[in-house]
Amino acid sequence: MDVVNQLQRQFLDYSASLHREGFLDDQFTQLQKLQDENSPDFVVEVASLFFEDCEKLINNMARALEQQGVDFKQVDASVHQLKGSSSSIGAMRVKNVCIAFRSFCEAQNREGCLRCLQQVTHEYSLLKNKLQTLFRLEQQILAAGGSVPAIE
Amino acid sequence: MTLSRESHTSTSNSILPQSANLLTENGKFKKSMASALPSGDQGAAEANSGNGGQMQKKPFTFNEIVLRNRLTALVVDGDNFCRLLEQGILQAYGLETQSVNNGDAAVELIASGAKFDLILIDMLLPILDGVEATRRIRAMGMRCKMLGVTACSGERERQAFLAAGVDMFVEKPLGPEILIPVLRELDGQV
Repeated sequence: MDVVNQLQRQFLDYSASLHREGFLDDQFTQLQKLQDENSPDFVVEVASLFFEDCEKLINNMARALEQQGVDFKQVDASVHQLKGSSSSIGAMRVKNVCIAFRSFCEAQNREGCLRCLQQVTHEYSLLKNKLQTLFRLEQQILAAGGSVPAIE
Repeated sequence: MTLSRESHTSTSNSILPQSANLLTENGKFKKSMASALPSGDQGAAEANSGNGGQMQKKPFTFNEIVLRNRLTALVVDGDNFCRLLEQGILQAYGLETQSVNNGDAAVELIASGAKFDLILIDMLLPILDGVEATRRIRAMGMRCKMLGVTACSGERERQAFLAAGVDMFVEKPLGPEILIPVLRELDGQV
């Protein structure tokens, strides 16, 4: 029982830190509330989909920025999509980089865009790692016979 | 309050290719739903509990509603993730959903006679954009609830989308504070 309590506390603390540090916002919490016994893997699957989508969009941006004559509209279209999907999952820091990124696209500033691309790649990697840790904690709780506490 | 939902499924309801299942499609009517129906609107009852007419704002959460009726929805979004997520969220409430990833497909679907209680439509779409698609859908006489759900945030975009015929302009993410009241209204729970 002790082990479960400890793991549950770890999970709640870790989750709180992710929110505090701006990695996740309330939208993510809302998605967690949709998870139940009928769809126990809802959040994990949503997250996997997001990272797939993210990778694809980042690759599109990188390719577009590599061109001799950069098509900033194309870059902007991908950034816009990423802004939408990151806000839909609650990936706040990724979303915020996208907002800055769009300004550089509008200004047709290639250097600025490349910096943002680097930043967005960095934030996406960070988030992916952190969510994997969070999901691992959930698995440990379940394996120890406990239940994942609800985030309020 | 536990979320009870029934999954109405049809072939076009599968939101992911065979390799993954975002939500369990069990197709079974959840008998527990009957007992889980709220008796009156508990949220409103609490809010109007005679404290000098002060409305206590109760924050909405995604799992705060159980639908009594069969509702159908169409999600129109060019981004795979957003399309599947919005579909997944609506399915979680028991709506029968379909989705397309461009404006032209949406118009064609409506033109072919498909009817929906709710349409979620993004602004920037391939082939035919959301504003024009909305205009054409409305021109065909579709009076259903349409929400423009988009990452666009300017006042100009808002006005344009509303003028084309969406009932609400929603900046992504689509959260429960927007969705729950809409679902309540569509379900006749207001």
